[in-house]
Amino acid sequence: MNRGFWSALKEDKLAMLGLYIFIVFFIVSILGLILTSGRNPIFDPSMIRLSEKLKPPFSHANRDILRPDQIPPFGIYIFGTDDLGRDVFSRMLQGAWVSLTVGFVSVGISVAIGILVGGIAGYFGQEYIRIYHLLSVVSISLSSLFFFKKVWHLSILFLFLLFFLIYLRKRSKILNVGLFTIDTLITGIIDIMLCFPSFFLILTIVAFIPGSLYSIMAVIGLTSWMGTARFVRAEFLSLRERDFVLAAKALGVSDFRIILRHMLPNAMAPVLVSAILGIASAILTEAGLSFLGLGVPPPHATWGKILSDGKQYLFDAPWLTFIPGIAILIVVLSFNLFGEGLRDALNPRLRR
Amino acid sequence: MLSFIIRSLIQKAITLFFISIISFFVIHLAPGEPSQINPMNPKFTPELIKRFRKQFHLDKPLYEQYLIFYRDLFSGRLRSWKDGRPVLEKIWERFLNSLPLFIVGTLLTWTLSFPVGIHSAIRRGSIFDKTATFFSYLFISIPGFFFAYVLIIFVVNTFHVPVIGMKTFGLYSGKMHMLMDRIWHMLIPSILSATGGIAILSRYVRSQMLEVETQDYIRTARAKGLPEDEVHYKHALRNALLPFVTMFGLVIPGLIGGSVIIESIFSWPGIGRMAYEAILSRDYPVVITLNFISAVLVLIGTFISDLLYMIVDPRVRL
Repeated sequence: MNRGFWSALKEDKLAMLGLYIFIVFFIVSILGLILTSGRNPIFDPSMIRLSEKLKPPFSHANRDILRPDQIPPFGIYIFGTDDLGRDVFSRMLQGAWVSLTVGFVSVGISVAIGILVGGIAGYFGQEYIRIYHLLSVVSISLSSLFFFKKVWHLSILFLFLLFFLIYLRKRSKILNVGLFTIDTLITGIIDIMLCFPSFFLILTIVAFIPGSLYSIMAVIGLTSWMGTARFVRAEFLSLRERDFVLAAKALGVSDFRIILRHMLPNAMAPVLVSAILGIASAILTEAGLSFLGLGVPPPHATWGKILSDGKQYLFDAPWLTFIPGIAILIVVLSFNLFGEGLRDALNPRLRR
Repeated sequence: MLSFIIRSLIQKAITLFFISIISFFVIHLAPGEPSQINPMNPKFTPELIKRFRKQFHLDKPLYEQYLIFYRDLFSGRLRSWKDGRPVLEKIWERFLNSLPLFIVGTLLTWTLSFPVGIHSAIRRGSIFDKTATFFSYLFISIPGFFFAYVLIIFVVNTFHVPVIGMKTFGLYSGKMHMLMDRIWHMLIPSILSATGGIAILSRYVRSQMLEVETQDYIRTARAKGLPEDEVHYKHALRNALLPFVTMFGLVIPGLIGGSVIIESIFSWPGIGRMAYEAILSRDYPVVITLNFISAVLVLIGTFISDLLYMIVDPRVRL
């Protein structure tokens, strides 16, 4: 990250705009978490006022009917109310935090898996998976399988087999026959994962496991690490041939330290860009799931859910569709603009 | 060439095997099974559940269920748990409904994104380029379901035509009228399925074009005094188009994948909507088959694109 990079980024007005919007969104969602949670939140997203249904934005609360604790802050519904008389502004605030955490945590998971898998493939990819590796994995899994099925003697038998394999592996040639490389294995796994259309796969898994914020983050993270893994693998394959890695190896630096201190920082640029673009698509995916009714369970508001609830009132209460829609649009747009700007700034060939 | 095809076929067969495992187990290992979908329902007596489990082989061990499932799938005997109809027949019927949307959407995508992308690359930094860039960012970022509602409001308020569903229910008038009705109903969903594609593809065309324009042979072409048009459209464009040949193969999987939300909004009785309904009602055979088929389509698509690339680009031939 040199000077040319920063000045190139600063010149890109759209990217800077994206960055500023992102910072604002970050602050708003943290404020939203503070203001909408707790026992007596300032903005109560689940307060139902049946007398105040479908009020348009900026309409005043009816102080004669409502109890004092039902009146929203400042006495106005900034974004109007929904079909149960809940304050849309409070619900949007609560939903902002969901979007933010889903975006960041799921991308965090996918980047972590991607770096781990891609790094192993890129750095140790030429090592062979030998027959005794395969046999040990089989015996460990069979041993634990029988352990859980409470067939103790078979479990112990396979455990002994494992120790026997570890003892034999230095002495036997057959056990050391290489089957295929780690790289073949990992690229194979990536290819298989890429075959499944991601949104449909996510939809299937989310529908079949108990829905919660955490399971959605985990599912999105676990189904979107392949791009990062490919980037990291490609970068590592070229970096490991470089002289500074050779120098580090000659100095006796451990593999782990070479990966973490010398190679990973050099491979971070494309990962960072794909992570930022990944946040945008994760937010969109979560909104889509909420829209289909498979997202975070009901009392909690998310942007996709507000829109989905408001779609029946499309012509009578269009703000229920437009406010969350435009909010998602702006946030996703800001991430996309910043990510693309970052990519251009990091690619010196495109600079003018 | 032949050795490449054989090698890649073997590789694809191995991948296919793992795909069949994953698409089966991802659903069967999830907690809960269809017999427990509604434990509060008094009609679900233990005997009924037992019969249900026996009928659908749920009482057998998983690997046996796996074998039974794929035996039934390939012999065409697999039936939906919901209505007992053969799964493949059901999917085919819905596929025919999705097909027009897919064809129109793909045609729109491919015919619009190339001119836009090429033009904005050639006139980099011009007003056209900036507008195209802005709109492509907008269309990449807009959630499809929100855009759908914006379009619905716009079309219904300005043209006063019904847009939900495949056709107006109970409309029996002249042939021309019914045709127009069909077209109106198809318009918004196909535009929707095309916008995202146009945005992404035109950006990609633009960056590919810019990449090629910095190459040495373009400078050579300019240096020997060729007219600008010939440099752009003959020397640059041909090389920039190479990666897109491979994308023809990758269009195929879009048949199933991307249409869930759009088809649910427009009550379009296509594959995506069927997938969504099957997921909600835990219709395992339909869900697994759809996952499996779409993964297979991706495999076929990548195979075709590899072949096309070898035919078009002589440098790849090994």
